[in-house]
Amino acid sequence: MMDWISIPLVGFPLVASLALLAFVGNASPAARAKIGPTVRWVTLAVSLAMLAITTAMFFGSLDGDSMLDWDTMAFGDFNFEFRYMWIEMLGIHWSVGMDALSFPMVWLTTFLLPVTIVATWNEKNAAVYFPLVLMMGGALIGVFVALDLFMFYVFWELTLIPMFFLILKWGGKDRKYASQKFFIYTFTASVVMLLGLVTLYFMQPENLSYAGDWTGRTFDIPTLIAHSQAANAGGAWFLGESMQKALFIMLMIGFLVKLPSVPFHTWLPDAHVQAPTGGSMLLAGVMLKMGAYGMFRLPLAMFPHAAHHFQLWLLVFGMVSLVWGAIVCLGQTNLKKMVAYSSVSHMGVIMIGIATMQPLGWAAALFMMFAHGIISPMLFAVCGAFKHHYHSMEIGAMRGMAKHSPWLATSMMFAWMASLGLPLLAGFVAELMMFLALWHFLAAEGWSVLWMVGPAFVLAITAAYYLWSMQRTIFEGGEKTQPPESLHGAPVPDIADSEKLAMLIMAVFTILFGVMPWIALNMMNGWTVGIFNSLLIPILGGA
Amino acid sequence: MQQTMEPFGEGFITTFAPEFVLVIGLFTLMIAPNLGDGKFRLPLSQIRVPYLFGGRRGKLDSDPRLPGLFASFFFITAFGMALLSFVDGMNTTTVQVVDADNNVTNLLKVDEFSRTFELIFYGALALASVASINRLPATSRNDRTNAGLYNNRRQVDFYILLITCGLGMSIVALAQDLFLLFIGLELASFSTYVLVSFMKETKEGTEAGMKYFIVGSVASGVGLYGLSLLYTWAGSLQFEALTNAFITSGMEPLPLVALSMLLVGFGFKVSAAPFHFAAPDAYAGATGPVAGVLATASKAMGVLGLLRILIIVAAPEATDGAAVWLVALGVLAAVTMTWGNLAALGSTNPKRMLAYSSVAHAGYMLAAITAIGALNWEPAHMTESNNAALAIVTALVFHLVVLVCFKLGAFLVLSLLESEQGGHTLASLGGLAKREPMLAVTMFIFMLSLAGVPPLSGFMSKFLVIMGIVKAALIGSTVDGTIVFSELHWVWWLAFLMVINSAISVFYYLRVGLVMFFHEPEEGRRTSLPPGRSVRVAIVVCLVATVFFGVGANGLIALCESAANALLNVW
Repeated sequence: MMDWISIPLVGFPLVASLALLAFVGNASPAARAKIGPTVRWVTLAVSLAMLAITTAMFFGSLDGDSMLDWDTMAFGDFNFEFRYMWIEMLGIHWSVGMDALSFPMVWLTTFLLPVTIVATWNEKNAAVYFPLVLMMGGALIGVFVALDLFMFYVFWELTLIPMFFLILKWGGKDRKYASQKFFIYTFTASVVMLLGLVTLYFMQPENLSYAGDWTGRTFDIPTLIAHSQAANAGGAWFLGESMQKALFIMLMIGFLVKLPSVPFHTWLPDAHVQAPTGGSMLLAGVMLKMGAYGMFRLPLAMFPHAAHHFQLWLLVFGMVSLVWGAIVCLGQTNLKKMVAYSSVSHMGVIMIGIATMQPLGWAAALFMMFAHGIISPMLFAVCGAFKHHYHSMEIGAMRGMAKHSPWLATSMMFAWMASLGLPLLAGFVAELMMFLALWHFLAAEGWSVLWMVGPAFVLAITAAYYLWSMQRTIFEGGEKTQPPESLHGAPVPDIADSEKLAMLIMAVFTILFGVMPWIALNMMNGWTVGIFNSLLIPILGGA
Repeated sequence: MQQTMEPFGEGFITTFAPEFVLVIGLFTLMIAPNLGDGKFRLPLSQIRVPYLFGGRRGKLDSDPRLPGLFASFFFITAFGMALLSFVDGMNTTTVQVVDADNNVTNLLKVDEFSRTFELIFYGALALASVASINRLPATSRNDRTNAGLYNNRRQVDFYILLITCGLGMSIVALAQDLFLLFIGLELASFSTYVLVSFMKETKEGTEAGMKYFIVGSVASGVGLYGLSLLYTWAGSLQFEALTNAFITSGMEPLPLVALSMLLVGFGFKVSAAPFHFAAPDAYAGATGPVAGVLATASKAMGVLGLLRILIIVAAPEATDGAAVWLVALGVLAAVTMTWGNLAALGSTNPKRMLAYSSVAHAGYMLAAITAIGALNWEPAHMTESNNAALAIVTALVFHLVVLVCFKLGAFLVLSLLESEQGGHTLASLGGLAKREPMLAVTMFIFMLSLAGVPPLSGFMSKFLVIMGIVKAALIGSTVDGTIVFSELHWVWWLAFLMVINSAISVFYYLRVGLVMFFHEPEEGRRTSLPPGRSVRVAIVVCLVATVFFGVGANGLIALCESAANALLNVW
């Protein structure tokens, strides 16, 4: 009935932002400054409308009876599935749909859009900035709802353009270098992925569903997964052993760089430090998750044999990201850089969860994607507020923040605590699940228990760098606080009301998903159990 | 519908309507600006007979803007006529001469393939001609300054050259005989040599024309020598006859030498390394629209020639396993794309940068042609191979069509800068986003399209080319079931190299964006650009096409496929 709803969900923000940009571009510079507030309100209204749609989807009220329940969907089922022929000859469809893997990400994107807009309410050059944020949101949702390899790739690359401009126009001092590095790094990885996708396209047998009438091959993701499921069964390798491995590697290059995992992570700290607050929030909140989402959607589902074969490598990538990211954090003096490296560390948790090849581990990874998607924007919002009001990003540039900026100090403390995994906050659930899954995996497979040393070690380091940085900014200073030198003696302000509101919203949801994780976890669990029962266990046996 | 006709036989003029429009245009341009009240006196009398030529010209025909408007009109009409021939299905027509002994000589052939290429040529030339109305600014005839005289007097010459260029290109597209093709190629080339050096008051213009002419004529000479060798070997230069000759006698040393010489001739046109050295100089010295024509239409002409000649040789019956030129062309493709990209990284003149990017694109196209040679023509793989060849040629034609949109568009943006003496350094693009935000965004879209970022048409074309190569590389392996990665045909690695190269290329395309959006404008370049309405119209057309063919590529792919089908029919 409402199957077409995913299309406006993607198309509306894109069209709206393009229309706004065209409108703004034609205005004179003087008029452009004047219409900024209006543009901001329009983008906020659009993003709130999108949030309303996705929230209604969650409660199942959009589609009456025909909508499947998110928690009990079978693997391979999609809500709001819609296909429209795009390029007939090649079998390219405008094909969208959501399952329990993509829906939390879509909701997260629509949740972060208004929060980002509110948190960066006073960004300069508003008439161009806010449409770009909106365009970013549309492209991100496009990645998550795409069920066609071609469309998936198109949106995957489309996300680069608004982010490139956000960093370039609103970024810090080295924004030129950072935006280029960001673009080239991720573009390189994704063209390798593209070659993998095209090779996969021609390797598949002819005349699956939705095939192009000229090539006889299909780009349809559900069809390909269903076919690979049959082809992988009984110990056979879909596409043959060496091809499956090669394609797995090519796709994983694209996703590992996006995630990012050490050693492909170097673009991330640069991009984050230079990006404006809003860009960082979306980058850390959703864009990094594209990598993990892509892994679940394509290589892990289609090439389980190869994934199993490279299990050790996946674990090593995860472990190194986790430990290396955390250790580097300890040495940072730049607040934002520290937070960026903590993101690398948290992405390591996702990789480890994937590498366990356990339902619990995968659910942990999915929940980590979601929880980190709420917590890390808050971290960056705090960094942004810090920079915005104190014109400095140095840890220890000021002391005793609790005295004069209680709101910022509280938000910082809350966000830091959430990120280091305090119980009853969302991050804790994911980390705990990852630990259990890793433990279970090591015990079941008879791998050395020494693998546990890394995560345990990191727990301590994470607590150390977060608490240490907090102690140096919020508390120290005794009776007389030390205002940052960059303020040159001006009175030290607290954060603006819009920032307070954004912090509050993110904090509330961090608590909500920490206390009642099952709201999101149930559907993730349903999806993981589904993929294991219907796909991985029959293929890999046991696990 | 298939039909044959004699030259100037029944229906000849309607069949070749687009070309005749250009011929009419040529004569109109020669005559119209000279109409006047010229009279001559009958000898031994006082009767003066008006012959309407020379003398004092009227208000309308002495307007220096007239040739530009005329030329644009005729190019657009020709484009429309060529497009019209696709409506209700193509009427495939072969023009042939039958002599007394019933020997048939094919001269020209109108089919989807030649018409599609004519669309490319006329489209590019129409855009260039519209844009040149601004680039060669015509003032009023009362302008007695030096620049005014220069500009006003040479208007006609410029557009006449554009039209002869278009005529030469159509002959290349239509020719069914290698010699005829070569004549068309020379007609177009000689026009472009002059067009490149048309800005003779600048030093770069003269130098560029000279270099382009010398290198070009050497390449033509080598190609012509190859042609004569081929004729000695086969006794005919008809495409059909050549195909048969290769099928019957296989590959021998003499035609091999001839082919490699022809490769030099066409390699220069597509600016493939190592024959590309003149291209950056020529592009940098020519005006924006002319450089755009060189990079699109002239290059399409070279690819057309390459396709014709290499496909004759690669006919399934003539190959055993792989075409003879396979390895040579593969190496050439790899070298060309890498060299072009690396050289573009270091160039600070945006036109040179675009020239090197054009070299890189030539490399991608050569890679695709290489893949055709790698096809396996054993009976078991016949259908698959046919499909793959079709896919590759389709991708090539598609690439050439969309190249007209964004490459020419980029040159037109530069030509707008040229009218304020900019466009030769990257710095002159600085702050374009502040001066003209929409123009900067347009230029950036062209750059992204060149880099192959979805959903623009540049991505679609690169995607199709990669698809074609991968499809060709997989053919041998998809039949027996087990596929081993190390057993993939090596042309797959050309696709890989192409992918890596397009990642490198992002660097210099992005730099243009960075300069426009990030740098401050140069001194004296702070206000808006000169108006130039006609260039802007052409830019908007390019922009719309760039986006449209990326998002709604369906129709264009179908058109290109019909063209590819028509070409491969010779097999």
